[in-house]
Amino acid sequence: MALVRACLVALGLASAAGLLLLVRPHRASGAVPPRSQAQAVERGRALFDRFCASCHGSGGLGTSQGPPLLGVGAAAVDFMLSTGRMPLAVATQQPTVQRQTARFSRAEIDALVAYVTSLYPGGPPVPRVHPERGDLVRGNRLFTSNCAPCHSAAAVGDAVGGGAVAPSLRQSTATQIAEAVRVGPGVMPRFGPEALDQHDLDSLVRYLLALRTLPNPGGLGLGFVGPVAEGFVAWIAGLGLIVLAIRWIGTTT
Amino acid sequence: MIGHLVLWLDDRLGAASFLRKAMRKAFPDHWAFMLGEVALYSYLALLGSGIYLTFFYTASGDHIVYHGTYRPLDGVPMSEAYASILRISFDVPAGLLIRQFHHWAALVFAAAISVHLLRIFFTGAFRRPREINWLIGVTLLLLAMAIGFTGYSLPDDLLSGTGLRIAYSILLSIPVVGTWSAFLLFGGVYPGADILRRFLILHIFLLQALIAALIGVHLFLIWHQKHTQFRGPGRTERNVVGSPLWPNYTMKSIGLALVIFSVLALLGGLAQINPVWLYGPYEAWQASSPAQPDWYLGWAEGALRLWPAWEIRLFGRLVANPFFPSVLFPVVFFLVLYLWPWIERWITGDARPHHLLDRARDCPWRSAVGAWAVAFGIALTLAGSNDVIANLLGVPVEIVTVYFRVMLGIAPILAAVLTYFVCHGLQERDRQPERRRIRAIVRVNARGGYEEETLPTPDSPAPEPGGGESGTGS
Amino acid sequence: MLLRALAAAVRAVAAILTLGDIVRQERPGPASREAAPAPPAPDARASALVAGALLVSIAATIAFGAAYALGAQTQLLAGTSGVSLAALAVAFIVWGQRLLQQEQITEERAPEPSPEEARRGAEEALARGEREISRRGALGWLLAGALGSLGIAALFPVRSLGPGPDRLLFHTKWRAGAPLVGIDGKPIRAADLLIGSVATVFPEGYVGDPSSQALLIRVEPGLLELPPAQLAGAPQGFVAYSKICTHAGCPVGLYRARTHELVCPCHQSTFDVLAGARPVFGPATRPLPQLPLRLGADGRLRALGDFTEPVGPGFWGMP
Repeated sequence: MALVRACLVALGLASAAGLLLLVRPHRASGAVPPRSQAQAVERGRALFDRFCASCHGSGGLGTSQGPPLLGVGAAAVDFMLSTGRMPLAVATQQPTVQRQTARFSRAEIDALVAYVTSLYPGGPPVPRVHPERGDLVRGNRLFTSNCAPCHSAAAVGDAVGGGAVAPSLRQSTATQIAEAVRVGPGVMPRFGPEALDQHDLDSLVRYLLALRTLPNPGGLGLGFVGPVAEGFVAWIAGLGLIVLAIRWIGTTT
Repeated sequence: MIGHLVLWLDDRLGAASFLRKAMRKAFPDHWAFMLGEVALYSYLALLGSGIYLTFFYTASGDHIVYHGTYRPLDGVPMSEAYASILRISFDVPAGLLIRQFHHWAALVFAAAISVHLLRIFFTGAFRRPREINWLIGVTLLLLAMAIGFTGYSLPDDLLSGTGLRIAYSILLSIPVVGTWSAFLLFGGVYPGADILRRFLILHIFLLQALIAALIGVHLFLIWHQKHTQFRGPGRTERNVVGSPLWPNYTMKSIGLALVIFSVLALLGGLAQINPVWLYGPYEAWQASSPAQPDWYLGWAEGALRLWPAWEIRLFGRLVANPFFPSVLFPVVFFLVLYLWPWIERWITGDARPHHLLDRARDCPWRSAVGAWAVAFGIALTLAGSNDVIANLLGVPVEIVTVYFRVMLGIAPILAAVLTYFVCHGLQERDRQPERRRIRAIVRVNARGGYEEETLPTPDSPAPEPGGGESGTGS
Repeated sequence: MLLRALAAAVRAVAAILTLGDIVRQERPGPASREAAPAPPAPDARASALVAGALLVSIAATIAFGAAYALGAQTQLLAGTSGVSLAALAVAFIVWGQRLLQQEQITEERAPEPSPEEARRGAEEALARGEREISRRGALGWLLAGALGSLGIAALFPVRSLGPGPDRLLFHTKWRAGAPLVGIDGKPIRAADLLIGSVATVFPEGYVGDPSSQALLIRVEPGLLELPPAQLAGAPQGFVAYSKICTHAGCPVGLYRARTHELVCPCHQSTFDVLAGARPVFGPATRPLPQLPLRLGADGRLRALGDFTEPVGPGFWGMP
């Protein structure tokens, strides 16, 4: 009995030691006690092996069905998981840009992030955004210059050709927006800190968050699609009501 | 009191005899005849709201720095024109309502003209002696599109500015005179010197005067030639039957005008249109999507998107791609439209004056041609929003584009063929009304045979009782 | 109270209608024939409806005024004015349909062509005038010539509307050695752009110049499939193209980084960045002109010269 107990303790200590050797300091998560970081990585490994390795390969080396995760960075992993783009329900599907509920909880996502970055450090970290420090006007200008061509002026999204879609940003979180900017998911280009610095990021996010709460002084937003929606409304509500009226006023003979 | 006014006018103008005839003028009451009035009253709505807006609009492309109510643009350089639109929208009480009222009225104006034109076409109202009014009407349609384009380009926002660039490029693509026409209209290489002010002059002055004058002639001709009417009891080619202008038709017409103003007022404040503050001020190096013009130019946008990457060289000179969908195609289409009364006359050989209208079914081939054109126009207009459709349906834009290219070919033909046969079918049904009523009752008798009892109709008396008998009974 | 208001309204209408009575008392001429108008049946419900509608309209108009005075909120203004106008419309229409004498009148049409003698008279008057003028022979031709040339001369001021087509169609502000700057005027360094990133650039001192707008894209070195001459102007995976679409001039603002394709939002022309911005979909026929680049030792990017071709959409004199 005592021998079994001793072996278990030894095994536990050996695992802990081994894990400690594998764990690298994870800058993005700040001062995290090594033990809970190790737990996170272990939990992340378990989740990864169960949900991700079938496409991304054991240890994130990639397979024919999924790219390797070499150097993708914490931001990419967090983005894909928190927006629900990953894991794919069907392996052969392409990641969809439609918002879905994330399959994993925040703790699980953090665990997976910890695991993947423990395998491959480097790549953009999860950005810290402070919209309250950003400048609304600068955010507007940056959005118009860099983002509106694909995501539309009101950030409701649009098709960008080739089967790709720039999604609506009206429900994205501040972190997700910043992550997408840094990572360039899907067909989106990416913008590093030299191109858009922290203040730019804060401003951009501030503007996008403000867009959602900006009142529509003119009435219903009609989906913010522009003249297409306005044309339909003019015909159906405008001319439609008027034609009903003239049917009432006039005769049918 | 009004009687006194009439007498006062008559003392000076001899107006009483005219007024006597005028007030008893017959106006047919059919609802389809009011579509032109819808266009007219939309125009009046545009005129009133437009005059108001002109007091507040600044037609200058000079840049200033905005410091105003809309915070996300505070401190941003923009043209004075754009800033004045922001002021109208955010600072002038009821400014946004009137601005949106004006824009919705423009969309409804163009829609009303289009439906009115279709009514004229399908009923053959363009035939002699009304060809002049047809020419005026088609011109009014073109002018409506032009005045709408110049109007929504005035705010100098990113969406309409992109359309301006396209217009410049279309001008450029015209052979021989293209570069000259673009440089002269815009005042140089794009974006030119002064396009906003020139567009304002076109919008509130030149095009406006032309439209007002043509509407005046249009109405005068209707007055002078008297309105057409559908066939019916008491109606001939030599008369017109309807309500008297005063007071009956006037009351109903004023009511219609108020309906239109009411619909436009409700839309003007309850449905946001052209939120230029979201698009941002125009910069020639920025773009946004989706990028469409107002609906009445959607056909042009669709033509540009669907036309393949073809262009030719003539005598070694380039005839650039936009020329074919944006210049050649509309010129040919509108030429046919303009000449239609004479084309139809050439096809049918019918040069008589007509004051009685066809119903659509009475001239199946003409209705088929009209259906072809309507389907073609709808397909083109929808094709102009191919990226919006692609996003909505989750289908690649390229597939949507190819789909519309195919549809442009087959949908109008299908529509034409369908219309042709439906018209003939309706005519057939009209010729044999008794078919629609039960003519006879067939009974099985006790011996297992059948008995037919023919029911009396107003045109034929009841036949011998007992009817015909057939069956297996012994 | 309501009935009194109604009576007053009916009396006002009667006053207006008196005019129609004056007209009807005249003997109708041969040109018009009228069916005997049906006497109006008393329609209390219609009257009540009209009265109600008018009252609603008045109330809504007052509400509109109040809304205007109290902040002029757009939706309130629209609601009150819309209701007011709609109610007034209902009043007019119901009045016209149910409170007036309904009658159909028949008007004869005058045959459109004028009587024969009038036509002949008109033709003769025209012809006579023409003969008088053309009888003078040479003078008539001179008159025509003068009027014609004056008409042509009247078109000349159109020429002042703008300069003629000039070299600006063929050249932009880019020159050899011009540093690339971003939209904020800051010079672009190689380190500023990650692989898979894109930036709008201008020549230094000409930020915002419409014809000079260009896109700087960074791809993996070695992926570019350009002929050697063009490749020389795309150092280390940095390649720049004109941002003006060669189809209809819109800024080509969309970049699909994974597939290295630029897309124009206006008509979906798609350009392959790796193959010299060759059009691969959509109506564009010509590639986006390349801006040849040089990467200096200081890490700054400069142009080697103007674009390789005239930028923007095609025109008649384009080479």
